[in-house]
Amino acid sequence: MASMNESDDCHPIVILIDELKNEDMQIRLNSIRKLQSIAKALGPDRTRTELIPYLQDSVLEDEDEVLVALSEELGKLTDFVGGPEHSVFLLPPLQILAGAEELVVRDKAVESLNKIAAEIPNSAFEESFLPLLFTLSKADWFTSRISACGLFTVSYPRSNPEMKKSLRKTFTGLCHDDTPMVRRAAATNLGNFSKQIEKESIKTEILPLFQSLSTDEQDSVRLLGVENCALLGSMLTLEENINLILPTIKSSSQDKSWRVRYMVARLFKELCDSMGPEITKTELVQAFVKLLKDTEAEVRTEATLRIADVCSLLPKEMNIKNILPCIKDLVTDSSQHVRAALAQVIMSLAPIFGKEDTLEHLLELFLQLLKDDFPDVRLNIISKLDQVSKVIGIEMLSQSLLPAIVELAEDHQWRVRLAIIDYIPLLASQLGVEFFDEKLGNLCMTWLGDPVFSIREAATNNLKKLTEVFGVDWAKNNIIPKVLSLHTHPNYLYRMTTLFAISVLSTVVGSDVIASSMVPLLAKLVTDKVPNIRFNVAKTFQTVIPLLDSTVVQSRVKPLLIKLQEDYDKDVKFYATQALQLC
Amino acid sequence: MGEFQDVDKYISILKECKPLSENEVRDLCEKAREILSKESNVQPVRCPVTVCGDIHGQFHDLMELFKIGGNCPDTNYLFMGDYVDRGFYSVETVTLLVALKVRYKDRVTILRGNHESRQITQVYGFYDECLRKYGNPNVWKLFTDLFDYLPLTALIENQVFCLHGGLSPSIDTLDHIENLDRVQEVPHEGAMCDLLWSDPDDRCGFGYSPRGAGYTFGKDISEQFNHNNGLTLVARAHQLVMEGYNWCHDQNVVTIFSAPNYCYRCGNLAAIMEIDEKMKHTFLQFDPAPRRGEPHVTRRTPDYFL
Repeated sequence: MASMNESDDCHPIVILIDELKNEDMQIRLNSIRKLQSIAKALGPDRTRTELIPYLQDSVLEDEDEVLVALSEELGKLTDFVGGPEHSVFLLPPLQILAGAEELVVRDKAVESLNKIAAEIPNSAFEESFLPLLFTLSKADWFTSRISACGLFTVSYPRSNPEMKKSLRKTFTGLCHDDTPMVRRAAATNLGNFSKQIEKESIKTEILPLFQSLSTDEQDSVRLLGVENCALLGSMLTLEENINLILPTIKSSSQDKSWRVRYMVARLFKELCDSMGPEITKTELVQAFVKLLKDTEAEVRTEATLRIADVCSLLPKEMNIKNILPCIKDLVTDSSQHVRAALAQVIMSLAPIFGKEDTLEHLLELFLQLLKDDFPDVRLNIISKLDQVSKVIGIEMLSQSLLPAIVELAEDHQWRVRLAIIDYIPLLASQLGVEFFDEKLGNLCMTWLGDPVFSIREAATNNLKKLTEVFGVDWAKNNIIPKVLSLHTHPNYLYRMTTLFAISVLSTVVGSDVIASSMVPLLAKLVTDKVPNIRFNVAKTFQTVIPLLDSTVVQSRVKPLLIKLQEDYDKDVKFYATQALQLC
Repeated sequence: MGEFQDVDKYISILKECKPLSENEVRDLCEKAREILSKESNVQPVRCPVTVCGDIHGQFHDLMELFKIGGNCPDTNYLFMGDYVDRGFYSVETVTLLVALKVRYKDRVTILRGNHESRQITQVYGFYDECLRKYGNPNVWKLFTDLFDYLPLTALIENQVFCLHGGLSPSIDTLDHIENLDRVQEVPHEGAMCDLLWSDPDDRCGFGYSPRGAGYTFGKDISEQFNHNNGLTLVARAHQLVMEGYNWCHDQNVVTIFSAPNYCYRCGNLAAIMEIDEKMKHTFLQFDPAPRRGEPHVTRRTPDYFL
C-alpha cells in the first residue's frame, strides 16, 4: 500500500480514511473535505469499488453538515473515478443524497448531478442518468421529486425525441404534484426548462403548465409564475404575449396575496422588457399605478424602486399624467421605507423628465423630501444631487436647495452631514468664491469641530479640495489661519484636527506656506502634554518633509524630531524615528 | 522598525473583517500574554481616554465606533470587556482588539468581561464560531487562556474606576482588588466574580442578583466606595441601556454600552465616553453601521425564499 502513505499537508491518507469513521463530526467533515486526496491516493479502481460503496453504505447516515460536504465533493470526483466514462459510479450515492430531508444537501446533490450529466457519455446518459431522473420523479417521498425538477434542463437537449416526449410528460406530472413543495420546484425550473424546448411544444404543453401554476392555490407557487411571465414572454410574439401572458401579469398584480404582488412589483422592469414598449404603454401602466398605491408598504416600496425604470420606457405625457400623481402621494407615504425608496429613485427622474418638467414638478418634491423626519430619506436625496444639477444647472439647484442644504449641514445624523460635505467642492466650483465665502465658508469651518471624528476628517479633506478650486492665495487668507487656530483647543482630539489639516493641505499649498506658517505651529505642538499630539506631530512631519527644502528640514525640522525621539512615550519615539529616516 | 511588522499586518487583515490563521492567533496571543501579565488588577490609565462598553462580536459596529471616536492609536481607548458572544464576528472582533493592544499597549486598555470566560463562551456563541471558522477549538482555547490574563479593572487618573460589572461585598478598597489572584477562569462566586457580574440597583445595600452570579448594589454602596477610595465615578458596562449610556446612583455610577441595536434587534443606541485631558467627559451616541447589501429592515421579510 505504498500509495496510501502519500500525504496531503501533514495528514497521511490512512489517517484521513480512518477519520471518515471518527466519532467527532468535525473530524469526519474534515476528512470528507479531503475526499479528492483520498480518491487520488486509492486510485480510480479502488475508488470505484471500495471508497464509493463505503461512502454509500456508512456516511449517508451522517449528520447534515457532513452530507452537504459529501454532496459537493462527489461532484468533483469524476477525474478520480477514471473520467466521465466511469462517472456512473457516482450516481447511486448522489441519488440517495438527492432524496435527503435537508434542502441544502439536496441542492448540492442536484448541483453535482448536473455537473456529471454535462460530461457523461451518451450511452451512460441514456442507460443510467435518465433512469435516475425518472426514478427520482416517481419516488414516494416528495424530497426526491423536488430534486428531479432540477435535472430536466440539463437532460432535455441530450435526449432523443422519444425521450424528450417522455421528459415533458414527466415534468407535466411534477407540475401537478400533490405536494406544493414539488410544484414550487417545478415552477422554479419551468422558465429555464422551456428555453430548451421546441417552439411548438411550448405552446401546446408548457403554456398550460405555466397557466396552471400561476393560478395555483398556494401563493408561494403563484409568485414563482411571475418570473416565468418574463422568461416566457421574451420567447413569444406580441400577439401571443397579449393573449397568453398578459392576463397572468394582470391577475398577479392584483393577487389576493401581497407576496405575489410584491413579486410583480419587484420584477416589473423585467416584465416591461419582455412585453415590449407597446404593451407597457397600453396595459402595464395601470397595473404599475395600482402597485404604487398598494395597501402593503412592502409592495409600494418595491414598486417605488422601479419608478425610474418604468418612466424611462414611457412617453413624457404619460409620466406626467399617470405616474407623477402617484409620486406626489408617495412623498407623504405613511411608511418611512417607502419614502426612503422614493428618495433613492426620484433624483434619477430629472434626466428623464428634462429641465422644464423637473423645475415645474419635481423640485418641490425634492425640497419636501429634504425635510423628511427619517434620515435615510434626506440622505438619499443629498447623495444624488449631482444627477439633478446636471439637468437643471447648479445655479437653479443652489438657489432653490441651498437653504435646505445649509439646514442639513447641522443634521443630527452624521452620515447626512458627511453627504453634504462630499457635495461641497462641487457646489463651490459652481457658485464661485464670493458666494461661497458668504454662504458656506463658516459651515466648512464648523465641521472641523464636529464631535464625530469622521466628519472632522471629511472636513479637512474638503479643505484640500476647496484649495484646489479657489487657489493657494485664497487658502492662505481664508482657511489656514482658522485651521491653525484650532491648535489651542482644550481637547486633544480637536487639536489633532489641526495636524490632520496640515498633512492634507501641505500637499497643495506649496513649500513657502508650509515653512512660514505650518512648521512653527508643529514646533509648538512638539511640547504638547498629550503624547498622542506629539506622535501625530511626528506623523505629520512624515508627510511634510518630502515637500520642504532640505535646508529647512535640516535646520528646523530635524532638531524637533530628535527631541521627540527622546520622548518617554514609546509611540512618540516610534513615529519620530520613522520621520527621522526621511531627513 | 521590524518589531511591529507582523502585528501591523494582522491589524490590516482584521480591519477587513477577515480572521487570522490559527498560527497567527497563537503568535498574537503569546505576545499579548506577555503584555497583559505585566498589567495590574487595577490597571492605571492616563487621561485623555475614550471609555467603551460591550461590543459582543458586532465587528461592523466596532468599526463604526472608531469612525465616531477616532482611529487607534490617535485616540486612546479603554474597553470594559464583553468582546465576544452573541454577534456574528466574535473572532474578528476580539482578535482585532487584542492586536491593537499588542501594537499600541500604552494607547489601548482591554479589561475582562463576564463573557471572557471558558464557560460562558461555550453557551453564547464564541466557541461555536471558532469551531465554524477554524474547524477545531484551538483558537477558542488560545483566546480563553489569554482571557485569564486580562486586567479586571482600570483606574483613570486615580478618579474614575472602570470595570465590567460592579462592586462586591467582599471588596472595600482598590487594594483588595490588587491582592486578588486574577489569572484563572472566572469563578462562580467571590470578589473576582462580582467585579465582572454585579449590577447597580435602586435598592440599598447588596442584594442577590437575578443573574445567578454577582450582586446588585445600591446607591449607598457606590457612594461609600467612591468616598473611601477618593473616586469621582464608577464607569461600568454589562447592561443594555437604550440610550447607550445611563447615569445612576446620583451620578456615582455610569453604565456604558457600545453595541448598537444589540443582537441586531434591540433597537438601542450605543455610546462611548470621551474623557479629555482635564477629566471632562462627553458622551457620543451612535447608531448601527449601515449593513452593506442588506435591504432596510421592514416590518416583515417576505419569506418567499422559504
